[in-house]
Amino acid sequence: MLTICFSEVNHFMSATATNTGMTNPGITNIGQISIITHDTPRATAFYRDVLGLPLLFTAGNMAFFDCGGVRLMLGPASSPELDHPSSILYFRVPDINAAHRHLIEMGVEIVAPPRLIAPMKDYDLWMVGFRDSEGNIMQLMSEVPRSS
Amino acid sequence: MNQQENAALTRIGQIAINAHDVDRATAFYRDVLGLQHLFRAGQLSFFDCGGVRLMLDRAEKPEFDHPSSILYFQVGNIRAAHKRIKDAGAKFEDEPHVIAQMPKYDLWMTFFRDSENNLLALMSEVPRPAATE
Repeated sequence: MLTICFSEVNHFMSATATNTGMTNPGITNIGQISIITHDTPRATAFYRDVLGLPLLFTAGNMAFFDCGGVRLMLGPASSPELDHPSSILYFRVPDINAAHRHLIEMGVEIVAPPRLIAPMKDYDLWMVGFRDSEGNIMQLMSEVPRSS
Repeated sequence: MNQQENAALTRIGQIAINAHDVDRATAFYRDVLGLQHLFRAGQLSFFDCGGVRLMLDRAEKPEFDHPSSILYFQVGNIRAAHKRIKDAGAKFEDEPHVIAQMPKYDLWMTFFRDSENNLLALMSEVPRPAATE
């Protein structure tokens, strides 16, 4: 996983240097994303047991997960300004129908069933919308290669 | 792959970021943050950040019209990145500072606003001299 990430970063860095010259300040990747919780133990159980993500560690009222090299930081809002829903995160899955069935079996609220979002050049992009335990809308996504 | 592996969430493929003015936000993420612009599709504007796609979009419904989650962008040299992004016109909330001392590194962060007033951060993991031997 690390090897893949670094090769992507290198590719990205060289492409960006060409495109934007001196303006590139050296951003290599997203290291972390914050997700506001209203009940951190409940959210921790959801991300660990329902979504199956590896729990890295907890620190006070915060819980940190790994998702393919990006850290998710779950915790309460530190100020009223930050107390709003999360950005929609699109989680990649190998098989969208299997993942959809899994969410249903776990009692997750589905807000949009599996559907073809966009036929891209080499693949079809499928998504499923659901809500996490904190009411955030999230999506599963899968790029399904065309057989032809 | 078995059933469980097929249903596994392997990584984050995309993140939606609300923009009130997609042209203005596109200019910010391209010219100030220096991210690679992938393509534009109507009111959607897509960037790549180290293999994760960022989708800038106007909120479809009032329910979605809220600020972005804080995204923490990793940089090698946080002081240099802070200066470059500040000089390019972004508004910072603080100076780069140590936010946590981890066992093997110091975690540095600094917080700033994008053109849509979303709170974002730069982060850098700076190894301790003792841990680099």
